[in-house]
Amino acid sequence: MIRQAHASVGRSTTPGRLQALQAACALLAACSAAVLPRPASAQDGPDLPVIEHVLPNGMRFLVLRREGAPTVAFVTQYRVGAVQERPGETGIAHLLEHMLFKGTTTIGTRDHAAELALFPRIDAVQDSIRALRAQRAAAADTTAQRAADGRGDTSCGPAPAASPASEDPRIERLTARLEALEDSARAFVVANEFDRILTRNGARGLNATTTYEATTYYVELPANRARLWFALEADRLRNPVLREFYTERDVVAEERRMRVESDPGGRLWECFLATAFQVHPYGRPVVGTMEDIQNFTRRQAEEYFRRYYGPNNAVVAVVGDVQPDSIVAWAERYLGTIPRGEDARRVDVREPEQRGERRVTVTFDAEPQLLMGWHVPEPDHPDYPALEVLAHMLTGGNTSRLHRRLILEERAASAVSASLQPGGLDPQLFVIGAAPAGSGTVADLERLIDEEIARLQAEPPTDSELERIRNQLEAGEVRRLRSNLGLAFQLAGSASAYDGDWRATFRYTQRLLAVEAADVQRVARTYFRPENRTVAILVSTKERAGEEAQ
Amino acid sequence: MTRRGRRGATQRQWARGARVVVAIVCIAGTAGAWAGCGVTGQAGGVAGPEVPGDQATIRAPVEPARDVPALGRAAIDTMSFPPLEFEPPEPERFTLSNGIEVYYMEDRSLPLVNLFALFRGGAAYFDREDLAAATGVSSSLLLTGGTRSYSPEAVDSIIEYHALGPSFTAAGGSTLAAMETLTRHLDLALDLWVEMLLHPRFDPDRVENWRLRELDLVRRAQDQPGTVAVRTFNRVMFGDHPIGWELEPADLTPEMLTEDRLRRIHRAVFCADNLTLGVVGDISRAEAAAKLEAAFGQTPACEAPLVRPAPPVIRDEAGVVVIHKAVNQSSVVMGQRGGILQRDDPEYFAAQVANWILGGSGLSSRLSTRVRTQEGLAYSAGTVWGAGIHHERAFGALTHTRADATIAAARVIREVLEEARREPPTEEEVGLAIDNTVNAFVFAFQDPARIVMRQMSYRVAGLPADWLQRYVAGIQRVTPQAVHDVVRRHIRPEDWTIVIVGDTTKLDAPPQTLGPLIER
Repeated sequence: MIRQAHASVGRSTTPGRLQALQAACALLAACSAAVLPRPASAQDGPDLPVIEHVLPNGMRFLVLRREGAPTVAFVTQYRVGAVQERPGETGIAHLLEHMLFKGTTTIGTRDHAAELALFPRIDAVQDSIRALRAQRAAAADTTAQRAADGRGDTSCGPAPAASPASEDPRIERLTARLEALEDSARAFVVANEFDRILTRNGARGLNATTTYEATTYYVELPANRARLWFALEADRLRNPVLREFYTERDVVAEERRMRVESDPGGRLWECFLATAFQVHPYGRPVVGTMEDIQNFTRRQAEEYFRRYYGPNNAVVAVVGDVQPDSIVAWAERYLGTIPRGEDARRVDVREPEQRGERRVTVTFDAEPQLLMGWHVPEPDHPDYPALEVLAHMLTGGNTSRLHRRLILEERAASAVSASLQPGGLDPQLFVIGAAPAGSGTVADLERLIDEEIARLQAEPPTDSELERIRNQLEAGEVRRLRSNLGLAFQLAGSASAYDGDWRATFRYTQRLLAVEAADVQRVARTYFRPENRTVAILVSTKERAGEEAQ
Repeated sequence: MTRRGRRGATQRQWARGARVVVAIVCIAGTAGAWAGCGVTGQAGGVAGPEVPGDQATIRAPVEPARDVPALGRAAIDTMSFPPLEFEPPEPERFTLSNGIEVYYMEDRSLPLVNLFALFRGGAAYFDREDLAAATGVSSSLLLTGGTRSYSPEAVDSIIEYHALGPSFTAAGGSTLAAMETLTRHLDLALDLWVEMLLHPRFDPDRVENWRLRELDLVRRAQDQPGTVAVRTFNRVMFGDHPIGWELEPADLTPEMLTEDRLRRIHRAVFCADNLTLGVVGDISRAEAAAKLEAAFGQTPACEAPLVRPAPPVIRDEAGVVVIHKAVNQSSVVMGQRGGILQRDDPEYFAAQVANWILGGSGLSSRLSTRVRTQEGLAYSAGTVWGAGIHHERAFGALTHTRADATIAAARVIREVLEEARREPPTEEEVGLAIDNTVNAFVFAFQDPARIVMRQMSYRVAGLPADWLQRYVAGIQRVTPQAVHDVVRRHIRPEDWTIVIVGDTTKLDAPPQTLGPLIER
């Protein structure tokens, strides 16, 4: 039987699908590991012999030697992502993530001087295309307006056609010219050589992921080949070449079509966030709007790299059967003299208080879905652990309140999940997603969810509910240590978000364990207010057609 | 936008200046000298045209200082690595009094125990009218339907209160049940697990719940163009054979899920002769043996051996299926009968390497390089060359591409396979596949649970216990000529079945230009 196999490099995170949410939050620990809030309690979690070493340029290494098969996981996290993007260049963080697999001045090329000589000509054609598009947009007075107010395309209408049908013939000619020139440069390219070097050496899981606040590169290697990682990483940080740039832009456009435009859950998620976050960049898609993707220039990606990929913004977690002394020595030698860059700063945009319920519908050739979201504070906030416990209480497992009510008792839904989304640093949304089943409708689900929330507001959760969650949290603390790669992700993520503090993620569990019934009731009352809510509904095209006929 | 010309000019200077400036200014390569190159990145987002002329690459290259090792292709090509000292661990094996085989590995790194039960048997061993019942029994109903001693609600509570991790996975021909627990809850977990496996209740309410959810999932499968394409391909290729079956509303009527039917299937699969057990984790062998003997020593023998389904009759002629869906990206699955059996045979290994080179190895593969990296037609493109132990399966290529490039992408994929028929692969390509297999071998031993499950699955599938070693050895013997031979013998792009799911009004050419349309 054929199974779908997606080529792996360059994933963006668009957690829109109900299944994905459910999978990610099957255990509370999984959700908290992804969120990594700042700790308050003094407890430091497991006693892991992590060696911390900061290079003179600020690049931080966390090395953990573990017994077992001789393999090693490398996870490099830059504390930059989509929130750093400026209006009109949504998706550039993600596109750059793709481009950093394209090689260096010596890897991926037969003749770098020859390909380099073509870059200015290629880029000039792209500049002309941009200029023409901008003229046309200004004339049409639509696109320009949207770009100007910094929102990008957040339209919740149907996905745009595969390619803009009424492109200017001049643009079509220029596009053909762009492709021809990039093909000329390709004559000097050794395709995917960076990937191939790692593959030949037995690398596993080579990939990267871009989120709102972080960009993370990861791979596992046989332990005896750890030094190869340093040689490759140093080369790509010192000498990256963004070759085949405009072709890769097309690849990302296809990624967007796959994850968002052809996927009902992805489309609904994008509209939902755009409606809930009208000022904060969480309202813009990580993968970028199609308009921005198709207008990117190599210069924009280069600039983003120069600006944000300083070693001082990176944390590298190395977990496996390696000698920490060797790792530290290689880190110094290979990466220690790369110059610092600008310190990535957190965005200081705050989403204004929502003063009325917002509703949005997406029409799609698909079964209905529902997303409800309430604005809640940032993970540092004292209320955050209670909100996370509340999410688990509502949908974590068969005994959870919404699962029992919506799926088992009323048989109105086939799936329901709650989680805190979509980032990890700024004020979040408490999101409940549900899929109606049987004779249930989206309106039924909304009513049932409202009833369950009202019940929580009226009476605190029971002791046994809280005890169950605490037991699961404690088991999660053991399970989260199972794999080298998983642990490396947690260490890098924690240190990256919390000024080098890899223990923050473990201490956060203590905050979750300290949540009391009254806390849960209080946050339910504080945040689950109708005027603080955004509701996004996917309406089946069949249903919509039926309504119109009536 | 009048800056176009100027920007172009600046860029040319930028590029021309690069090598000169780098050679003169940045030669020292220390952090201080780097700052002198004007590329510290601290300029606060200076835009392209204003950037000084020494940035041909994003960061100007630096000559290595005396303590910076040589970088780049040449340095990597000459890198050598110490040998990997590694004795692959293997599970121990023992037998319960009723003949059930147990694979065991100790792993004291965490206070966890993993239990595995792999049963031969699943939906593939039953008739189509049993599809829903067999799928339910193998995937979900033992977990959610209650047991002899516990109501469904009690089961849910025990699992969630003690943070147990039970799971059931149906693979058609086999069923895997697993239970993960903290060591301190082992007895409770084992007791509940045995209840679920051997004494299910099939609570009618829970069965009905499962039925309704499955019905909804069947509907929702239509929402994903890729899922529709793959399922359609399997159905068209394998016809009325279990490999081609997917649950449909007609399978999911209450009559198909009666208690009698569920119990008949449960008895036929969940019996001693079909069962192989595994234990991994924080437990001694003696303790594991005693506990499993108590738990499974009384498992009844099977009433009758399961009868393996007849081999499929796989479609073997050109044809195109087009399914309309109003999305701007098409999913394309194209392929043919595979012609290969999974066994210790040079042809099998050659087919594995061929698939790896053509589309099985991610970015490095020919298909991904061509369709994604060079043509920018798709985010993903890959191949699968299926091979069963008892019968052949299918070869297939899959991609997702914008509607108005659909037919072009299908042609590119066919071309890549035609090329593979014309010319043997290079030594380098075959070497890459072999090196990866050999160097990544160690990953097969990273997780004790996977080591145990692998041995269990070899046993249930009838593969030799040293199949992994034979596999690596077999791959190492593959030559470019062998790859060329197996491709020429089996791959016939002109006879492919092609499934397209997408917006048929936006295709770049009529689909029948790829082959005759199949009436559905």
